[in-house]
Amino acid sequence: MEKTLQEGSAGQVYRVQGSQLPLALRRRLQALGMTSGCPVLILRKKPRGAMIIKVRGGRFALGRAIASRILVEEA
Amino acid sequence: MELLSIGFVGNPNCGKTTLFNAYTGANLKVANWPGVTVEKKEGRFRLHDHEYRLVDLPGAYSLTSYTMEEQVTRQYILSDEVDVIIDVADASALERNLYLTLQLIELGKPVILALNMMDIVEKRGMEIDTHRLPEMLGIPVIPVSARRKTGLDILMHAAAHHKDGSAEEMPLIHHHDGAGPQSTRHPHEHHKEFAMVYSDAIEDKIDQVGEQLHKQYPELTNLRWHALKLLENDPEITQAYPIDGGLLDRSYEQEIINEKYDFIKEVVDEVLVNKDKKAAVTDKADQALTHPVWGLPIFLLIMAMVFFLTFTIGDWLKGYFEMGLEFFSGAVLSGLEFLNVAPPLISLLVDGIIAGVGGILTFLPNIVILFLALAFLEDSGYMARVAYVMDGIMGRLGLSGRSFIPMILGFGCTVPAIMASRALENKRDRFKTMLITPFMSCSARLPIYVLFSQLFFGGYAMLAAYSMYVLGLLVAVLVALILHLFDHKKAALSGGSSLLIELPEYKAPSAHTIFIYVWVKVKDYLTKAGTTIFVASIFMWFLLNFGPQGYSEDMAQTFGSKIGQFIVPFFAPIGLGFWQIVVALIAGISAKEVVVSSCAVLFSVSNLTSPAGMSALSGVLASIGFGPLNAYALMTFSLLYVPCAATLATIKKESESWAWTGLTAVFQIGVAWVVTFAVYHIGLLFC
Repeated sequence: MEKTLQEGSAGQVYRVQGSQLPLALRRRLQALGMTSGCPVLILRKKPRGAMIIKVRGGRFALGRAIASRILVEEA
Repeated sequence: MELLSIGFVGNPNCGKTTLFNAYTGANLKVANWPGVTVEKKEGRFRLHDHEYRLVDLPGAYSLTSYTMEEQVTRQYILSDEVDVIIDVADASALERNLYLTLQLIELGKPVILALNMMDIVEKRGMEIDTHRLPEMLGIPVIPVSARRKTGLDILMHAAAHHKDGSAEEMPLIHHHDGAGPQSTRHPHEHHKEFAMVYSDAIEDKIDQVGEQLHKQYPELTNLRWHALKLLENDPEITQAYPIDGGLLDRSYEQEIINEKYDFIKEVVDEVLVNKDKKAAVTDKADQALTHPVWGLPIFLLIMAMVFFLTFTIGDWLKGYFEMGLEFFSGAVLSGLEFLNVAPPLISLLVDGIIAGVGGILTFLPNIVILFLALAFLEDSGYMARVAYVMDGIMGRLGLSGRSFIPMILGFGCTVPAIMASRALENKRDRFKTMLITPFMSCSARLPIYVLFSQLFFGGYAMLAAYSMYVLGLLVAVLVALILHLFDHKKAALSGGSSLLIELPEYKAPSAHTIFIYVWVKVKDYLTKAGTTIFVASIFMWFLLNFGPQGYSEDMAQTFGSKIGQFIVPFFAPIGLGFWQIVVALIAGISAKEVVVSSCAVLFSVSNLTSPAGMSALSGVLASIGFGPLNAYALMTFSLLYVPCAATLATIKKESESWAWTGLTAVFQIGVAWVVTFAVYHIGLLFC
């Protein structure tokens, strides 16, 4: 089932399906390893705010506006 | 002697700067890249038969041309100025670091992989097969530890020997997914030539595009890299080398990235042993430091600690500096009198230069401690967490948590803080951050608070000084909030600002890195004392000792007094209607410390910050009717008006607009006036 990363919960792993982000930002995320099919672990999440994720061995803080535009499915 | 130019490249937070410092020490040149304000560090040293020139390139995750840092790095590497690239990788985060490595290898220049932080890898019980890794990548791999200074000479030796060698000399012994050459229908067997071999479909495309490129641009070298960039739709290369034939039907970037990461996964699976124990410490520390509820109070506590240390320990050390200055000043004075030097000249030296410059030097301990603390926060990896912790609050102001990092750096010095706003991709965010960062109280304003709060607030001196930091933060927040109310609709259209920042693993900060960070700042401070403040002190002395009638003992007859009195009406409503203070504030635009050094000259108090000097100054101030409320107004105005000429120059450089710079300056003076007016008149109610 597809949903946005923002709807995910801490401690869960998701698989990236795609994103609806501006091109430059999308390419940045891809360069950081967040390509489609790649697993993402949500480490921590503020109730209505930013989250900390783990992608390909790296940790990133991700704002709500970005996380809510990344499509994922449960892995 | 042979000169070898080496470019240091690596992801942000890979320990690149620590490694760079391990070679060059404090002996480095910091400048900006031509045309852009991205910091460029260069150092030279000799080892055996070679002279090495090291250039620390901006940290980058990839070599696309989307951010300024990456563009700078890529252009520099492609230029002829680099003989060898040293790719610094954090061995404890190998997977992500290797992505840049693969791109560097594809550039076709000699690359050496420096596996940094091997000590951390070992401590965690992990192991990296350093024999298999170079076989798979086709480049030399040297394990180093920048913190323990191991492997440093070997790395430079490798660079010297490898400078003419490209990947061809190195045996490449690998295949993807165990697939032999027989399973591919691609006509060429690339596994012996290149580390990164793509799927048949991509390899076919690379060959076709490469051939076309060769036809159209026969002089072009490294066709494979250019072909890849064209397939990725890289804007710069696509524009520079357009090709015919409709080969570039779409962007293959997604596949190219994915296949690189697939290969990296293979490499990591093969060379990394015991990778599961990773990062337990960081996760535990983050439990507390990024806690949804406690994260913010912990941060505030840390900052309170920083300022507490700055004021208490700093002031204690300052006492010794003052004693030294007093002794020096007295010795010079009696020496000059003994030599029968003309009184005006003695006055210039003792009351002008020594009083002005020396007074500023006594604040060095406070400033060292403040920068020490900031260096610690930056080097430990905590700064990025602050961006996460503050994201919610900054979101309400229409900014991302990332904008908070320049603001914290602003406590140190506004100039690098404004440069740090470059890391913000959204232009609207950048300009907003540049506008509010100067309100954060920088270390140059600290002498003003220390002096005037000790003069007028006795036991509450520290509280009065603290309140300036809070006030500066409040004004910054308020300005951001007001701007947000005006532009939030437009901001939403432009995609909004959102946080994206790497959270590096925590590490014990390297003493050497911190030392160099602080030393560079101290050097800046001393340089400023020797140049700007020196010149300003002499200039002030002239303004205050010469008038229309020439040299004058009566300060009221001097140029300085006349200028001050002309502008006094502007400052009178905010409790600063004293011509001496007005002159000091105007002079303070050159650098904020000059407000204090000018006071020394203005009120002819030689050792301003010593107990004797302070009682002399408070006597003079009391005689002109300058009381505690005026002092608080002065501190408030100093906090908020134009930080210094260097800040304005930086804003001009970053914004590339004189109009914006002028507007910023007027805005700062306006805000300072309004807030000081409010503070003064509210204060009057209670006095």
